[in-house]
Amino acid sequence: MKIRAVSILVIVLIHGLAIGQNREILYDFDEIPGALMLNPGMKISYQWYAGVPGLSGIGINAGTSGATVHDIFADDGVDINQKIRERAINGMTKRDELSGTFQVNLLQGGFRAANNTRNFYSFGWYLEGDAIGYWPKDLADLAWDGNADQLGRRYDLGHLKTRGELLSVFHFGINHIYSPKLILGARAKIYSIPLHMASSNNQGHFVTTAGQNNIFSHTLVADMLARSSGFNEIRNALEDDTVDELAEIRKILTKRSLLGGDLGFGIDLGFTYDLNESWVVTGSLLDLGLSFHSTDPWNYTLDGNVTTEGVEVILPDALADPDSEFWENLVDEIEGMVPFEEDNDSYISFRPTKLYGSVRYNFGEPLSDVGVRSADCNCTDQAAGSRRLITFTNSAGLQVFAVNRPRGPQAAITAFYTRRLGRLMQVKATYTADKFTKTNLGLGVNLQAGPIQFYAMVDNLLAFENLADTQYASFQIGLNIISWGR
Amino acid sequence: MKTVVIYLFVVVFGCLSACVEKPDFDQFDDIDAIPTIDASLIYVESPERIINQAAGINFYSQDFVFDPFNEDFVQERLVDAIIRYEVDNTTSKPLDFTVELLDAGDNVLDTENFDIAPAPSPILIREITYGPGGRPLDILRNTVTVRLSATNLGDNTSVSSLPDPKIIIRSSARFRIRLK
Repeated sequence: MKIRAVSILVIVLIHGLAIGQNREILYDFDEIPGALMLNPGMKISYQWYAGVPGLSGIGINAGTSGATVHDIFADDGVDINQKIRERAINGMTKRDELSGTFQVNLLQGGFRAANNTRNFYSFGWYLEGDAIGYWPKDLADLAWDGNADQLGRRYDLGHLKTRGELLSVFHFGINHIYSPKLILGARAKIYSIPLHMASSNNQGHFVTTAGQNNIFSHTLVADMLARSSGFNEIRNALEDDTVDELAEIRKILTKRSLLGGDLGFGIDLGFTYDLNESWVVTGSLLDLGLSFHSTDPWNYTLDGNVTTEGVEVILPDALADPDSEFWENLVDEIEGMVPFEEDNDSYISFRPTKLYGSVRYNFGEPLSDVGVRSADCNCTDQAAGSRRLITFTNSAGLQVFAVNRPRGPQAAITAFYTRRLGRLMQVKATYTADKFTKTNLGLGVNLQAGPIQFYAMVDNLLAFENLADTQYASFQIGLNIISWGR
Repeated sequence: MKTVVIYLFVVVFGCLSACVEKPDFDQFDDIDAIPTIDASLIYVESPERIINQAAGINFYSQDFVFDPFNEDFVQERLVDAIIRYEVDNTTSKPLDFTVELLDAGDNVLDTENFDIAPAPSPILIREITYGPGGRPLDILRNTVTVRLSATNLGDNTSVSSLPDPKIIIRSSARFRIRLK
């Protein structure tokens, strides 16, 4: 029952709490402070902002390029084993992935410097979970069908590629108006990492061939490595009957989230450049950083190669040792040639670096920064200068996104249209194509009521017909207090 | 303001109209992950000259630990198995070869005997099924020792005219394991 519950939970989490990392609706949505996290060099029109703790930015997505929850668990009368075979075993490849991230802003704020209004400082603390697992095609085939009638097929151990981590991030950034046309931004990050695991550089194969002596010959060539940090202490807590498991785990995770565990460092870089009043180019590079895992590391290796045809009793050699334990010797020999080992060596991991870029064309009626017609407001005294603060009723353009993944960069392209609706509201519609889906329509709404700013964003609207059948879905919400200093 | 309200209505209505076709997670219990594994087991080889050199008619006999099916993981999850033997005799003499499976108390659980004709003779192939429709699966589950014995039913002088004459016994198992 426990295994069943955990297995279903994992499946649902993978499908339901996954996020494709790409937050294309939020990117370049200048009116939302959270967009600063995606481009530290974005245009900032406000004097200061403060996120409502825990509510200033919450993002949850789902991403699978293969089978969906609906594909496997739909109540359609079809035998689930048949569905698994057709839609997962035969329907997915090693490039299909199940990936996810969630992010919750616990603390977020920013302010324009009083003594140098060209600078805007931001700071915050957020919690992030990130995991990706590629479909281990050959290993799944082996587990589902076995090696029977598969003479000569090499089961590639390199199909096992996965990584995941839970981390809290403390950050401080500066956004600097370098010139009337160019804004630069940078952010320093300290990662505090409660949990981390990775197994992404595996090589080797298992193959069964016709034997030279016996009926079959089995060959294992393995160079596999799995690293983890933080799990051992939690496992111990789960196995300790003398403590309240949940309380102990909460205590461990809280301590590690507050700089009491593995640490890492990283930076974000970004810019916004106005080619002219209508055309704007932006770009950012996020999470260029690394983490050091030393507090609770646990590494596993399987390294070596062996070929066996089973127990061999060959006379007259076998007569020389009448007490020989052929089977035990064979097991010892295999374990010696392909040892499975554990160690507690520290290690370094790299963050999944993300790249955003956009080209935007503004058109329509020029407006001030908050939707007030530019002729109606006094915009000239702002740090950014009057030209920078003028926005337009409409804008449209293209965005690109890429994230570094274990199987190479994963990219997406987005076309977007943004429209301001009076003083209260701004909407952004997107169309995104990536490996998950080619029919991803997204919609974001930003509402401004005095100093209160609220936004909500939903991806892959067409999937709303049946969320369980979607390969990608996400939503983001946030609540902030913003001041323009007027 | 009217436009804003309309847009809000569209967004809110759109979100509320989202639905999830209720999955049936009880199907998880019906998943049968039962791979079929092919694995070599034991290979025995003896040249004819060794058979001729043996003092008695029993030229080989040995017990040794052999408990792959007795491992907890396999024992609990073994669904069925077929043990395949291939006997290839290129010697000039008839032979008898016996495989016995013994439990931890050295009790014989199963015996497979091969009455092997002298060369030229075709390869003798025999498949023994354990589990449904065959011999009890507990034989394999409880086997911890294998006893091999080979007997020369012919003379000690003749030599086959075939190149490199020998008796070879190959064996493999095709078994199914329930992973889920």
